[in-house]
Amino acid sequence: MKRLAGVSVAALMLGLSGTAFAEGEFAGVTLEAKLIGGQQYEALYARIPEWEKMTGATVKIISQKNHFELDKEFKSDLAASTTNWCVGSNHSSFASQYPSLYTDLTPLIPADQVAEYVPANIAAATLDGKLVMLPRAQFDVSALYYQKSLYTDPAKAEAFKAKFGYDLAVPETWDQLRDQAEFFASPPNFYGTQYAGKDEAIVGRFYELVVANGGKLFNDDFSPAFNSDAGKQSLQWFVDLYKAGAVPPGTTNYLWDDLGNGFASGTIGLNLDWPGWAGFFNDPAASKVAGNVGVAPAPKGSAGVRTGWSGFHGFSVTENCANKEAAAALVLFLTNEESQILESSAGPLPSRTKVWEHVVDAAKSDPYKTEVLAAFQETGKTAFAVPATPYWIEATNLIYPELQAAILGDKTVDEALQAASDAVDGLMRENGVY
Amino acid sequence: MASNASHRARKRALSAAHFIGLFLAMSLICLPGLWIVLNSFRPTVEIMAKPPVWIPNSLNLDHYRAMFGGVGEGGVPVLTYFRNSLIISVTSTLVALLVGMAGGYAFARYRFKGKAALFVGLMATRAVPGVALSLPLFIIMARAGIIDTHFGLILTYVALNVPFTVWLIDGFFRQVPRELAEAAEIDGCTRWQAFWRVEFPVARAGIASAGIFAFLTSWNEYALASQLTRSVNSKTMPVGLLDFTSQFTLNWGGMCALAVLMIIPALVLTFLVQKHLIAGLTFGGVKG
Amino acid sequence: MTRLRLPPWLVLLLPAIIILAAVVLVPLVLSFYSSFTAYQLTRPETLWKWIGTFNYRKAAGDANFWWAFGRTVLLLTIALNLEMLLGLGLAVMVSKVTTGQRLLRTAMMFPMMFSPVLVGFQFKFIFNDNVGLVNNALQSLGLTDVAIPWLVDGHLALFSIIFAEIWTSTSVFAILILAGLYAIPQDPVEAAKVDGCTPWQSFRFVTLPFLMPFIYIAMAIRSLDVARAYDIVQIMTNGGPARRTELLWTLIGRTAYVDARMGYANAMGYIAILLSIFFTIYFFRKLTAARSELGMGV
Repeated sequence: MKRLAGVSVAALMLGLSGTAFAEGEFAGVTLEAKLIGGQQYEALYARIPEWEKMTGATVKIISQKNHFELDKEFKSDLAASTTNWCVGSNHSSFASQYPSLYTDLTPLIPADQVAEYVPANIAAATLDGKLVMLPRAQFDVSALYYQKSLYTDPAKAEAFKAKFGYDLAVPETWDQLRDQAEFFASPPNFYGTQYAGKDEAIVGRFYELVVANGGKLFNDDFSPAFNSDAGKQSLQWFVDLYKAGAVPPGTTNYLWDDLGNGFASGTIGLNLDWPGWAGFFNDPAASKVAGNVGVAPAPKGSAGVRTGWSGFHGFSVTENCANKEAAAALVLFLTNEESQILESSAGPLPSRTKVWEHVVDAAKSDPYKTEVLAAFQETGKTAFAVPATPYWIEATNLIYPELQAAILGDKTVDEALQAASDAVDGLMRENGVY
Repeated sequence: MASNASHRARKRALSAAHFIGLFLAMSLICLPGLWIVLNSFRPTVEIMAKPPVWIPNSLNLDHYRAMFGGVGEGGVPVLTYFRNSLIISVTSTLVALLVGMAGGYAFARYRFKGKAALFVGLMATRAVPGVALSLPLFIIMARAGIIDTHFGLILTYVALNVPFTVWLIDGFFRQVPRELAEAAEIDGCTRWQAFWRVEFPVARAGIASAGIFAFLTSWNEYALASQLTRSVNSKTMPVGLLDFTSQFTLNWGGMCALAVLMIIPALVLTFLVQKHLIAGLTFGGVKG
Repeated sequence: MTRLRLPPWLVLLLPAIIILAAVVLVPLVLSFYSSFTAYQLTRPETLWKWIGTFNYRKAAGDANFWWAFGRTVLLLTIALNLEMLLGLGLAVMVSKVTTGQRLLRTAMMFPMMFSPVLVGFQFKFIFNDNVGLVNNALQSLGLTDVAIPWLVDGHLALFSIIFAEIWTSTSVFAILILAGLYAIPQDPVEAAKVDGCTPWQSFRFVTLPFLMPFIYIAMAIRSLDVARAYDIVQIMTNGGPARRTELLWTLIGRTAYVDARMGYANAMGYIAILLSIFFTIYFFRKLTAARSELGMGV
């Protein structure tokens, strides 16, 4: 608690200049907010009283639940037209689903303020020319966690070179990663790698691999484009690893929590995962691989492009909010420099250029943290958001069972992609997208 | 003699088989649950270790300490959730019992047209899947302004439990001979007094058993609660479990700790009431 | 002027009727209406877009829907029957114990204390192929040297779900059947013994018929309740992989809230309701028959 308080005080002194509020500017205003709950996200909300004191406004948190339940609630709100609350948590992967819920922040936030965020994040927060959210310090992209000890054993290195004809080193391409994963695997006690196997998660992984292999998931008119050579090559990668036994046989049922716990158990060699786990993996009370964790940027595909499916949490202001200025001011406050420094001090990645510098600087004395930040920063440079269609989530629900069918051998790669492509095509047509 | 000996041997074998069978069954029932209890005391590194750690190296209260700790340090407003759960479950159980008693009494004591159809109709409301219900319910409650209140959830749980309580309690009142109540009325009691003095005590056991089923249903319900609650105002413990998840991470040890706090009150209550439960169901089932 | 007087039975039933109407019937009418529209949650205006029976025809023509339907019936049949048999066995064993029965009965009801969400996470971790409890135990005991993909293989995944479902719900059967065992009048049992019946015969021809009403009550309650397994399945497999464990509830839940297609989901939901009403009425009938056989009246 003390440490956190210290950080926030330092943060306050660092730069109050960025967001100056006129004293009591919003006196008497009450803002209702629906904010994402969960331990990782709630520390920030301790700053809200500070803002209330500064502006004279009152913030009432009327909903605080996890990401997926909140998504359900927003949809229910739209259905019930109970959308006159003001501030809502949002996520770049979900934002496109609520086209009418949130207002454009461009007229409410000065352009020079917007310019202080990482440009790629602002681009991903802009849908149809509307800036629908300001990103908080919860930027997510995946980098490669690995067990360092795998690369220090000369016997292994020699055997690997003899088999594959090149030196064993932390993989830079997804093909190398496949070779190594198959090489390291020794089921049922050790697996080369693993991947998320269901829901939006596997489609996201497939999507980034398609991009890294030079393909596209959708054409510009949002007709499916993944039934292509790049698509087949990408799906084949998943299939090969599964067939070779290089991934746990249950991987098609894994979600993020299974992946994180699996790598922490020390039975997985290479693991593409999110920044939220960095601290967990290196904590001796939580992870067996603590002290043995290396982090590298995400590998590249056959097109020389890094995978980089990314997303971030942020805050939005509703269209029906009675006092949009006050709401926008709160959103700006929750994502300003001090807020982002507070939030990123616990591990999550920031989405402001200056805070990135600050975070990297603050981690200098900690080699692991520095390595983590360097890997994620490098991956973040070429990261990309999900396709900006309101049907993204629905499309993933059509695609993932087909990907699973190919991985498990129920269908060939060609059949699976054809079926998925047809299904998505049907969805888009039914909704009159083209 | 010989047959006597073989008889004894068979009896012994039978009782051994009985013991072993019971032991196995109880193990299967209790182990997955005890695994959760154990996990709540173990550091995460041991819970999902491989090779597995069968004999815990260290047991501690870290998950509990974190849970009661501050926001941002793993803290969860446990006490608030607990209070919400308790208020909602207890109130909805009591109301469901009252409504159930009234309804059950009507079915047991009066003859009227369309009784069977009404009865089956009441039961069938329970067959409605939560998915078909949750959204319209949300819309109505949001418009009525009772979303995220204790009242909204209590109302929902009463409706969830009423069919079952009506059914069970109906059976118990049938069990009480009509003449008993009539005799009391002749003795100068009003019908109301006769009910409380004569019929209610006999049916008490059945009411207790309906109560525990209703309580456990409300205490553990998740799907509707997650839709109809929003904030610490009304979030119940099953919904609170999900506080241990974020988009990409999940704190299983912490979840287990909260789960233990959920299980203990239910277990204590069951232990106290189960005597009535057995007695109650005995009457209700057959004569219902 | 005469005051309107309601018959007393109606007064007594009124609270139940009002509450059920408010919480179940009205929402049901709303969702029934929406099943004839192109209702999408994120576009409220679609609630007024009447499309007739399109959703029903779409569901009826969707192979995935019927697979899920069939699988749900299969799962229900297996789970309910096994729960009944295991519950019966458990109840008989517990009833024969003379000391510590109070403790045993409480232990028997232990799984009922677990919220279905919790059960979902619990068995997802227990059946994890890599670090899960079951595979760890099997490997430690040397029974297998492969990681069994409990939640991936088609049959095993269904088995795992059924296992979790049985674990949570056998208690309900056991407790109801146990109540039935206590209720059995001792005279016929004694008479059977005197007549020289073996223990099996007296169980089969005297005890069991007495238990049947209890078994049907439990069946009816459970068949009304099974949709609660949604939480468990959703967390354990969410219908996957490759739709191998897709059940009506997971399919409907995903369509309704993730895809936001409430109209279509409700149409599927109504077809599903028919299923559970069928099961319920079936068991009610059986119950009535069993009671009248025993001369208990209706």
